Amino acid sequence: MILDQLVNGLALGMVYALIAVGYSLVFGILRLINFSHGSVYAFGAHMAMVFVGMEYGIVPALIFSIILTGMLGIAIDKLALAPLRAKNSKRIAALITTIGVSYIIQNLLMIVYGSETKFFPKLFDYGNINIGRVSIGTTQLFIVGVSLVLLVLLSYIIKKTKIGLAMRAVEQNHKAASLMGIDVNFIVTFTFFLGGASAAIAGTLISGYYQVVYPNMGFLAGLKAFSAAVLGGIGILHGAIVGGLIVGVSESFAAAYLGGTYRDAVAFVILIAVLLVKPTGLFGKKGNIKV
Amino acid sequence: MEKKNYGTHKLNHIVGKIQGAMIKNKNIVIALLITLVLALPYIISSQYVLRIIIMIGVYSILSLSLGLVTGYAGQVSLGHAAFYAIGAYTSAILSVNYGISFFITVPVAAMIAALCGLLLGLPTLRLSGPYLAITTLGFGEIVRMVLSNWDRVTNGPLGISRIPRPSILGIELTLANNGLYYLILIFVAITTVVMLAIVKSKMGRAMMALREDELAATMMGIRITYYKVVAFVVSAFFSGLAGAFYAHMIRFIDPNSFTFDTSILILSIVILGGMGTIKGMFLGSALLISFPEFARFLQAYRFVVYGVVLIMMMRYRPQGILGGQKKTEYKLPKGVDVGQSKETAPGKTGESINTVEEGV
Amino acid sequence: MKKVIGILLVGILMMTVFVGCQSQTTSQESEVIKIAVAGPLTGDFAEYGTGFSNAAALMVEQWNEAGGVLGQQIELVVFDDKNTGEEAATIAERIAGDKDIKAVIGHFASGVAMVASPTYQEAGILNISPSASHPDFSGEGDFIFRNNTVIDIEAQVAVNLAIDTLDKKNVGILSVRTDWGTSTADITKDLVEKAGGTVVDHQEVVDGTIDFSSNITRLHSADADVIIVVGMYNTLGPFASQYKAVNPEIELVGFSNAYSQQLINLAQENAENIHFPTIFFHGSVEENVSSFVSAYEAKYGSSPSSLTAQAYDSAGIILKAIENAGTADRSAIKDEVSKLVYDGVTGETKFEDNGDAIKAFSLVKIENGQFIEVK
Repeated sequence: MILDQLVNGLALGMVYALIAVGYSLVFGILRLINFSHGSVYAFGAHMAMVFVGMEYGIVPALIFSIILTGMLGIAIDKLALAPLRAKNSKRIAALITTIGVSYIIQNLLMIVYGSETKFFPKLFDYGNINIGRVSIGTTQLFIVGVSLVLLVLLSYIIKKTKIGLAMRAVEQNHKAASLMGIDVNFIVTFTFFLGGASAAIAGTLISGYYQVVYPNMGFLAGLKAFSAAVLGGIGILHGAIVGGLIVGVSESFAAAYLGGTYRDAVAFVILIAVLLVKPTGLFGKKGNIKV
Repeated sequence: MEKKNYGTHKLNHIVGKIQGAMIKNKNIVIALLITLVLALPYIISSQYVLRIIIMIGVYSILSLSLGLVTGYAGQVSLGHAAFYAIGAYTSAILSVNYGISFFITVPVAAMIAALCGLLLGLPTLRLSGPYLAITTLGFGEIVRMVLSNWDRVTNGPLGISRIPRPSILGIELTLANNGLYYLILIFVAITTVVMLAIVKSKMGRAMMALREDELAATMMGIRITYYKVVAFVVSAFFSGLAGAFYAHMIRFIDPNSFTFDTSILILSIVILGGMGTIKGMFLGSALLISFPEFARFLQAYRFVVYGVVLIMMMRYRPQGILGGQKKTEYKLPKGVDVGQSKETAPGKTGESINTVEEGV
Repeated sequence: MKKVIGILLVGILMMTVFVGCQSQTTSQESEVIKIAVAGPLTGDFAEYGTGFSNAAALMVEQWNEAGGVLGQQIELVVFDDKNTGEEAATIAERIAGDKDIKAVIGHFASGVAMVASPTYQEAGILNISPSASHPDFSGEGDFIFRNNTVIDIEAQVAVNLAIDTLDKKNVGILSVRTDWGTSTADITKDLVEKAGGTVVDHQEVVDGTIDFSSNITRLHSADADVIIVVGMYNTLGPFASQYKAVNPEIELVGFSNAYSQQLINLAQENAENIHFPTIFFHGSVEENVSSFVSAYEAKYGSSPSSLTAQAYDSAGIILKAIENAGTADRSAIKDEVSKLVYDGVTGETKFEDNGDAIKAFSLVKIENGQFIEVK
């Protein structure tokens, strides 16, 4: 049973990692907690639901939803956050702005699609595979596989490509990066696109796994993914992944051994415990945050 | 709402003018206003409006207390509803289970909340920015989980019902006899006086120093850990007070009464009203608490518009409605550059250094 | 000093706001009879509040077409409480202060309803909640009623379904941690033991949970043959799908709160053979039920759930009581409601002294994607 819970937790954790990456990317570039990310995730899942319903097949539906959600990410930046940067406003103003954005997205989703829990078709299911006494769902394998591929792809983009180099440069110093000829605004836009796209994939995976979609689905998932990102050291990609896995696995164990009513808080308990020992998260570097 | 959006200068100008006029006839204005505040329940006959005003009072206390932590000491807290909840539950449990009078349970509730503030304040000293924010958020969620699971004490999801109203000499204070209005008025007054006293004192200046630049404050010999904890404790105390009042007014509480949304609402009030101001907290509460009532005609779009209002406010007046008026910009001597920090935009020589780096 | 002046200035601003606010609420005597519906129209539970107001609007429309009540037209006033106590309390004051409003249908969650009910009781205005299930709710006063199932009676029917109809003895319970879920689960446990079954495991989840894998692993390893699920459709649906992936033989028993077309949409083929007790049944041969279902579907494009039907009857009860009383006096309406025997779409409704409605349950199950009656 322990192994079963571990498998459940890992599948869940992979998805948290995907959402957490979105927080980390934006935080790395802008030093901003993007509270609208949870609702972007819900938006991605709804778009996938709509496009899957149109029967173009799953893959085009997913691509449409990724593009649209990525565009939403860009729109949030261009319409709400870029003007604040231009005015060099306080960061807390940007925080409240992202909260405002999430109100708008979530309520519009409710108005358009209704607040009820809706059906989402199963994306990939070939029953269960039994290894010894552990039974692993193929859906779970699929989720872990897709997430892994995406996370590797993201790491590749950031570590090996030119645009990734530019992203890292902007992360270090906006001004110096722009002096080096990097189009900082483009990099920020690109980051928001990546964040939105990864949220859309996470949303689709989770919806396909549990077969449900609802407007408020991003709230708790978003908070937990955020704590996963911070747990690993916010702004650090592999930190977000490890954080996501820890949150997912601990949640799964808490649900099994403490009871389902404790599952939502256990992520925070672990988070606080880790931060007390290591105030910048597991992989966080000192001095990453300016006092 | 719209009016405040379109021009910060215009608003400043108008506010300044009115203030100027009021300062000239200071005593008359003060006397008039005090009379008005005291006579308010007799002017407004509707209990509906009176309840909104009382809720504005409750949120004024909450935002004043969060304002101390976030607005003055510069520590962002996303779990302030936890203290509100602790105050409400403590007072409700004491009076329902043990029949203790409201006027005893209230200070006890506030003390317990303050104790929890200390509990949260101490470990979070080492944290800053998003690490502190998520810790306070986590604290809020953990408190809610405890309220929902600790059945023997909190009655779990069933909540606590039939909480007695406050009563003096056998007279129940209700909405109808205006007792609740005057009670919250007293609470608000106490909170305001204490906050003003702190802000005006050495302690307040120390907190502002640590908000502006923790490192520099430490260099100046300010014991930043001490002031952070004090801010948290005082803040939790008054939030607990507000919670206790709320429990006895609304008479039924359950874990769903104190959610993350409540924390966000309080934080929005602080920022919208103007961080580092006292009067901004009243204005912020008045606007955001009455907004859902005014916006009823928008029906399902109510909270879409709410989001738009938040965004517009932050875009056109990020310092809050009443924030940042008094600050005179400090001009640096020629040739000194302060813009080297990677987060701030290129700082020109002689530019204001009022931009605050709060890390969130 | 400038600060003090500032505070005072803000004070003035606020006062002007409220004087404006107040002018909104004063209304002159009008020729219509107003009924209020209060529930969540925004927020996570908007579907339920919308169902309430749709159902009540349908009932009012039908009365108005027939000439209204006491010769006057009926007007429905709808308030959104976002399922929060704070807003509900304010709305309650507003309703209590509007003399034209004769009765209130609503507040969805018990916690929210219980914040508002003391105000209704004090103002002497009839309040019927179609959904509040908290044991203390109807005890709030003589103006407070609920047109919802009484949990111990419904739990008994659910237990009978599991132990007698389905003939299973090893009972597992899954409940949501809300006032309704927790109280019902406690009662259910006792009833299972009394009926000769064994509760092999009880799992609790937070309302809104969609991942039940850990709970299912536990229930499954405890060898449960039947699971009584105390949750709404959004709990029962995913739970059924996930459980049947582990054990396709499992039997599930739900409660009337989960009785909704949405359940079949969500769980699809996994919804097959879920059993329910319910007071409202779509496919009933009763003429009033089928005409309600078709009128509702024609007007709103979705089919009514159990709670929606309860709201529909609540509106009917109020209007009938006004007609019987011959006056739209708030107190007279209340007296009439407590005497009334109302034959509605949720069966015959009669309120007990404490304001609870005792009703007969029909047993339904899902077969071939349809709800059908169990004999």
